[in-house]
Amino acid sequence: MKKLRENPALLSLVIAVAAIVASLWLLANPRSTIPFLLTLGSLLAALLQPIPKWLKVLIGGAILLLVIPAAGFKNSFLFELGIQTGIYAAMALGLNVVVGLAGLLDLGYAAFFAVGAYTWAIFGSPQANEFMPWKIFPLPGEYFYLFMLVAVVVAAITGVVIGSPALRLKGDYLAIVTLGLGEVVRVLANNLDQPINFTNGPQGITPIQRPPIDWFIGLLDKFGLQMSKAEAYPLYFYLLVLVIIGIVTLVNIRLDRSRFGRAWIAIREDETAARAMGIPLFPTKLIAFATGASFSGAMGALFAAKQLYVSPESFTLIQSIMILVMVILGGMGSIPGAILGAATVTILNVDLLKSASDYLNDLRNAGYTLNLGFFKYNFANLPNQLEPAKYERMVFGLIMILMMIYRPEGIIPERRHVLEMKKEES
Amino acid sequence: MSEAPILEVDRVTKTFGGLVAVNDVSMKIPRRMIFAVIGPNGAGKTTFFNLLTGIYKPDKGKIVFDGEEITGKDPAWIAARGMARTFQNIRLFGSMTALENVMVARHVHTKTSYADALLRTPRFHREEKRALERSMELLEYMQLAHRAQELAKNLPYGEQRRLEIARALALEPKLLLLDEPAAGMNPQETEDLQRRIVGIRDDLGVTILLIEHDMKLVMSISERIAVLDYGSKILEGTPEEVQNDPRVIEAYLGRGAAEEAS
Repeated sequence: MKKLRENPALLSLVIAVAAIVASLWLLANPRSTIPFLLTLGSLLAALLQPIPKWLKVLIGGAILLLVIPAAGFKNSFLFELGIQTGIYAAMALGLNVVVGLAGLLDLGYAAFFAVGAYTWAIFGSPQANEFMPWKIFPLPGEYFYLFMLVAVVVAAITGVVIGSPALRLKGDYLAIVTLGLGEVVRVLANNLDQPINFTNGPQGITPIQRPPIDWFIGLLDKFGLQMSKAEAYPLYFYLLVLVIIGIVTLVNIRLDRSRFGRAWIAIREDETAARAMGIPLFPTKLIAFATGASFSGAMGALFAAKQLYVSPESFTLIQSIMILVMVILGGMGSIPGAILGAATVTILNVDLLKSASDYLNDLRNAGYTLNLGFFKYNFANLPNQLEPAKYERMVFGLIMILMMIYRPEGIIPERRHVLEMKKEES
Repeated sequence: MSEAPILEVDRVTKTFGGLVAVNDVSMKIPRRMIFAVIGPNGAGKTTFFNLLTGIYKPDKGKIVFDGEEITGKDPAWIAARGMARTFQNIRLFGSMTALENVMVARHVHTKTSYADALLRTPRFHREEKRALERSMELLEYMQLAHRAQELAKNLPYGEQRRLEIARALALEPKLLLLDEPAAGMNPQETEDLQRRIVGIRDDLGVTILLIEHDMKLVMSISERIAVLDYGSKILEGTPEEVQNDPRVIEAYLGRGAAEEAS
């Protein structure tokens, strides 16, 4: 490993070969988990290791824009995985501003996701006819893009409304209050079906309009790819999510490297000293809170369009905690960390644990007997309760505990943290 | 003196429960002066600083800074008016670099809006460049330029103290409050600090208000000294006057010592 690091040319070659091998394997077996993970692993290695920038762009572009879509046509689950990862990554980036940079523990983050989702769900479905005088709803799908911006604004305003009382508190108190106010949003969504029916209550809202993609199908046609709408939508949402991740990352980096980012970190490090240096505490915190909320709102609108259906079920406390886990796992304050954390948790959640369950089920159904000589076990006796998918939360809890013990700064620590760690080792 | 004093403290009192931490203290600090506040441990010196900078709100009394009443105002608001401070127990932003620490204090001198930062407008680049240049100048001035990219918490103690001063100067203050700047320094470092404090006043025209236990430092650079004991100001005068006053000896060493000395 050390030798590899000292020889950038060899390192580049190893990573490039690994990426090609993994990609080919994935294309040959689009349904198996291991080549998929290897492909993502080589992508990660390419992005994190010190190799030339053009090679990073080449490997990243090839895997994200060619290999995964190509494999996705044979196994549309990959698109689903990519879209979910993307939605969570954008939200983790938003929460990273609040928790990672400004140090404000927010346990009600899913509320803003809900606000964004309902913003499009209500107007992009017949729901709005229930309380609006003009019976023009659902709005045509073209309005979706406009409503992503509307969702950003509405979520930011919600952030200001929730933040104004909550941000006067610190630490644990802030966490509890945001948790409570976050639940209030969900409960409102659950109960605002009367006296005036805004949200359709627990039944949720469906069907929600999607952005029209006839132009996209036409475009694909020109490249010789004929696809039905049902096939093209996952690809379209996948590409849309990639674009949004790009924008969100850019916004994150630009804020981080401005006087706002510095003020947030200063507040995180020492509130009293930050105030004594002229940083107004409350407005600065409120900007961080509203920024995080707006990211979540935009993804909510996208989520509504992708799912065709929203209900209060999707915006529970567990959602907020999952996003927080992504930020902590990846590394607080670290932009690549937030994305990696989101990918890890999502893939673990929707793919790995389920695959492991399926594998165990297969063994059980086949009545496979494990024979170690001194120890025999017939998988047919395996109780149903022992399915990894049922232990999702325990697995996350375990990961968090191990992370806190062995790597509290996260998988990819904030850049400034890396400098400090190196110093301590020497 | 024709000019109005930079700071006027008028009968300020602060109590914590039954404890009177600062009791009816008044003070006038003329511009461009090096003014020291001394007193035994627990005399209320740091509380007094916290009242001036707005961290605590006085129960009674009035504080006027540069012609403007600041009693009970927000610390950030007061800092933006030109009052900067350092802390007795160093309070740097540990996981930021030395340069970033200084740049944080440029916050009030940059008008870059949120939209500017997102769109990277010419104004953003202009102001960011100016903040960077000014911060590097200050690091150079405090002889820390070689440490610019290091994390604040990794700097040696003496440099952390200097970085705190550099950060405070980035506010471009009219009044600089130094809370025990020589604490934990060896004699050479203290001597160096002494030259720097005088230099800051002479080069930048900043008024300096100093809390310090190192009597050699206090007596050699202060032009006026106020003595606090049990929260009350017991004396104010020139170093000579203070040095020879039995009340000061009593405050520090107790009544018996004071009688012996006289």
